[in-house]
Amino acid sequence: MNWSLAGINKPSLPTILRSQLIPVLVLIVLFAGACQKDVSRQGSNNVLYWSSNNGGEIKFAKWAVENWNKSHPDQPVHFQPIPEGQSSEEIILAAVVAKTTPDIYSNIWQGLVEFYGRSGILVPLDTLNGFTEFLQQRCDSLTIAEITSSDGHIYQVPWKINPFMTIYNERILKEMGLDSFPSSYSSYLAAAEKFKKDTNGDGYVDQWFGNTSVKLAWYQRLFNFYPLYLAASGGMPIIKDNRANFNNEHAVGVFRFLQELYQKNYFSKQAESAAQDLFIAEKYATKWTGPWEIEYLEKFKREGFSYNFHPMPVPDGHTGPIYTYCDPKSMVIFNTCKNPQLAFEFIKSMMSEAGDLEFLNTTNQLPRRKNMAELPGFQAFFDKNPKMQAFAEQAAHVRGADNCEYLIEVFDIISQEYEACVLYGTKTPEDAIADAEAAVNVLLRANEK
Amino acid sequence: MPSQLRKRLLPYLIVSPYLIHVVLFVLFPVVFSIVLTFHKWNIISPMEFVGVDNYLHLFQDRLFWKSILNTLQFLLVHIPLQIGIALLLAYFLNEKLALRAFFRASFFLPVVISGVVVTILWQQLYGLETGILNRLLISFGLGRVDWLSNPKIAIVSIAIMATWKNVGLYVILFLVGLQTVPRSYYEAAEVEGATAWQQFRYITLPAINPTIFMVVILSTVGGFSLFIEPYIMTDGGPLNSTLSAMLYIYKQAFGYYHMGYSATLGIFFAILIMGVVALQKMFLEKEE
Repeated sequence: MNWSLAGINKPSLPTILRSQLIPVLVLIVLFAGACQKDVSRQGSNNVLYWSSNNGGEIKFAKWAVENWNKSHPDQPVHFQPIPEGQSSEEIILAAVVAKTTPDIYSNIWQGLVEFYGRSGILVPLDTLNGFTEFLQQRCDSLTIAEITSSDGHIYQVPWKINPFMTIYNERILKEMGLDSFPSSYSSYLAAAEKFKKDTNGDGYVDQWFGNTSVKLAWYQRLFNFYPLYLAASGGMPIIKDNRANFNNEHAVGVFRFLQELYQKNYFSKQAESAAQDLFIAEKYATKWTGPWEIEYLEKFKREGFSYNFHPMPVPDGHTGPIYTYCDPKSMVIFNTCKNPQLAFEFIKSMMSEAGDLEFLNTTNQLPRRKNMAELPGFQAFFDKNPKMQAFAEQAAHVRGADNCEYLIEVFDIISQEYEACVLYGTKTPEDAIADAEAAVNVLLRANEK
Repeated sequence: MPSQLRKRLLPYLIVSPYLIHVVLFVLFPVVFSIVLTFHKWNIISPMEFVGVDNYLHLFQDRLFWKSILNTLQFLLVHIPLQIGIALLLAYFLNEKLALRAFFRASFFLPVVISGVVVTILWQQLYGLETGILNRLLISFGLGRVDWLSNPKIAIVSIAIMATWKNVGLYVILFLVGLQTVPRSYYEAAEVEGATAWQQFRYITLPAINPTIFMVVILSTVGGFSLFIEPYIMTDGGPLNSTLSAMLYIYKQAFGYYHMGYSATLGIFFAILIMGVVALQKMFLEKEE
């Protein structure tokens, strides 16, 4: 532009700097300041704790932090829910890269801890004073073995679980003449055959015995294949000694059972509908779910709708306890923490008997501690919330996730074979499981360190 | 500051925001991606140099080639469908119609709606048992269609949805093209006794040829970046029939944290797109 022709004095460089660049620089500095970790908080006498952003857990975290800060005014804990993002994993990864991780994060999926632990960003908790004693007091030996990393260290404190069980519509089962839940594969399939119906006569079944996700995403297998496998196998791991451990009659049986459910149209193939809950609409008689379903159903169920819970279906002739997957979440301390011992002391206070009871009351989620139902305070909760009793009993027979750095890929491989065999019948259960085993072993061998 | 120096500095200062943008958001990511292709990296552990392993893996990765094939299948359905429908709609919307502005705006609406929202909406429409489309088919006495659960149909269903979402943009482009054709050509043709089809075939089509090729290129580039639809609707299933190349690259990066390998796939895929677009451009220039 010709400034003089426009009748405007040409602005000098300092003027431009003042009017345009300086405000921009100020904004950049302010923005950088906002992004920076709160330096006033950094120090060895205080701790930053991130909880999940679930309402109940935030309430519990506030309670725990207030209690701690009252009794430890010189060692305060600062709390905030994990920043919003597509997933907590993404946020944690971003924080790790930016070195802005909190000292403590609760609600990390047990299956991910090995990945973080082996990457060297977590504090090996077994090196802290009193950790081993605390863990042994809280957890049974199976749980301790499950959370021990392949390098021999322990990077997590098991915190909470939400075991998967079968929920069923009591009225429907009663009307079908079933006095008890059909818990074996054959009785479940027989009941499914009886319940399947085309109610509107359009030539298509519109009432199914159950539904479970048909999506390919790896984590969906944690909610159908995996709990069924644990139930059938008595809690066998899928990865053992860094090799696939699931090419056995249990996994093949689970695939065959699920395949029959779909082939005979006993289970609906439709992805869950956002528009209508077909379990509440009594179009499904059963499904596999966790304790969160109770609060949801109590809010949305119709008048007269009654339901109950039962462990996962098992093969005919199964003996012994019925295990399931418990969707375990743990607490971890990141290696950016200046005082891991202090952080651990705070975690311990959150997981005291009183802390766990408060957590149960506030969130309706089970703490991962042994003999929970026998403790008086807990028993009072279960008396008041009888539907939770089934989950408390199930908690004695649960498994979490195997300690494998590549667990997501392992479940992704299983999911591919699940889809081919269970949903589309293009492979026999034997072939699908054998192919999954081979692919998992190739993956694990390729990544051996 | 001497005025000579100020004069020399000023242009650089003025273009500096753009330069900073290019360096930070274009050059650095591209160079970093190329460096990554020779490394194994899971974001939080140190990078490990692996030479050309990632490239060798790429050529043996059957799933990646399947995802490329799926993307090409999608393009084969999506581009002709999109161009055909957009041209037809633009042709009618160029005529004197009642409520013409309303229809133009209506067809453009899906373009400005979030892709995620559109995908969730269509997921409900395509529902196997309770979806409106299947309920309609059944009410007309027809059989229902496994829109998203049949491996042979799923990618076509996604192409139909993507066409619905994007067609409005191409309608506008074609409208612009159609409005540049001189009215006198049609008047002369009418005097010569040309039918409506002949007018369309011998006047309209050649006149909007550059627009058609622009739409082909835009559709191709857009189609190659197919991601949201399979990510939300099918997660690449059934039987990997809707696994697009972009979705596969995303899974490698943010599902398994194979940053080096996903960068390799990304670079290879970018070269592939550039190749296809270069071919189309050559064809376009030849036509012109």
